[in-house]
Amino acid sequence: MTAELETPPNNDPELVARTQGGDPSAFDELVVRYTPRLYGLIYNMTSNHEDTNDLLQDVFAKAFRSICSFRGKSSFSTWMHSIAVNMTINFLKKRKRRQHPSLNDPDNSIESDPDFIAATSQGDPLNEISIHELQKKLNAAMSKLSHDHRAVVTMFDIQGTPHSEIAKILGISEGTVRSRLFYAHRQLQTYLHEFKKA
Amino acid sequence: MSDMTNSDSIHRLLRLKRYEQPPEGYYEDFLGDFHRRQRAELLKPSITTLMMERLSYWISEFRVPTFAYAGATAVAVIASVAILRVTPSQSGSQVNFTPDYSQNSFSQTPVTIQKMQPVSLRAGLSGNGDSSHLFPTSYLLQARPASHESPLSF
Repeated sequence: MTAELETPPNNDPELVARTQGGDPSAFDELVVRYTPRLYGLIYNMTSNHEDTNDLLQDVFAKAFRSICSFRGKSSFSTWMHSIAVNMTINFLKKRKRRQHPSLNDPDNSIESDPDFIAATSQGDPLNEISIHELQKKLNAAMSKLSHDHRAVVTMFDIQGTPHSEIAKILGISEGTVRSRLFYAHRQLQTYLHEFKKA
Repeated sequence: MSDMTNSDSIHRLLRLKRYEQPPEGYYEDFLGDFHRRQRAELLKPSITTLMMERLSYWISEFRVPTFAYAGATAVAVIASVAILRVTPSQSGSQVNFTPDYSQNSFSQTPVTIQKMQPVSLRAGLSGNGDSSHLFPTSYLLQARPASHESPLSF
């Protein structure tokens, strides 16, 4: 199940207006709608399921408290993602010591993904590595990146968010997004060189 | 070109991370957990309330010994008595501003209003020892109490 890439239906403004008007059930709909996507964003930045759960609760609580200040200058999705990214980066700054990752099991459908097959076997069944081994290496490589670079990589490479949207979420230019991605990919290549042929 | 290829391969590798999903039923249960946590937050007292509770508890636990009250009362009484006894003796040393009429006759002529003329202090001192810089220009009525008038002044 790849819920992250699903585009939410665009009746957000109506739900936001209802929430601002005092209807909490409208906010519940927004929570249900944004949970998978924001979970993916926070999880891939923290590499820890428990931390992600706590942060996601805090993100929605903060959004609910400050929804009256949302004026619709950006889309609700951008606003929610900004809250999530900022809170996660603040959390990572406070969590100075690197915690032991608490990774989720990959979905079984990964085994049929051509990129996974190419990455794990590289055409040679004897060199086949396990899903968990690949997962560990990917997470180890991600954890070497700075918080800002990790945020950009998570949104672009994992979640498929366009450059322009990332720029709005982070409040930076598209050029900066591209340069951060370029730099992050160069760093990741050194950690993931064994999978380069994929 | 090589950079582009490498970047693309990294991109495709990283996209595999989207398969990492939370345990089954997590998304379905999340809203319920969110509501529970929100309610718990409402029940959780704020830091101010906790501080006030601790302060009031500390005050209630703070026991003053009984003799301390008696001691404080005794000190207050002694201090009051001391103040009351000292005050009359000090009043004798104060300067008495009441004019002494004993040497003046009550039959002397009072100063009339015609005798009162404005006098410039500067005018009197202009010759020598000008003190105009000391005193601003002012006029005084030549009025002295009747008791200070010499009996032979008329």
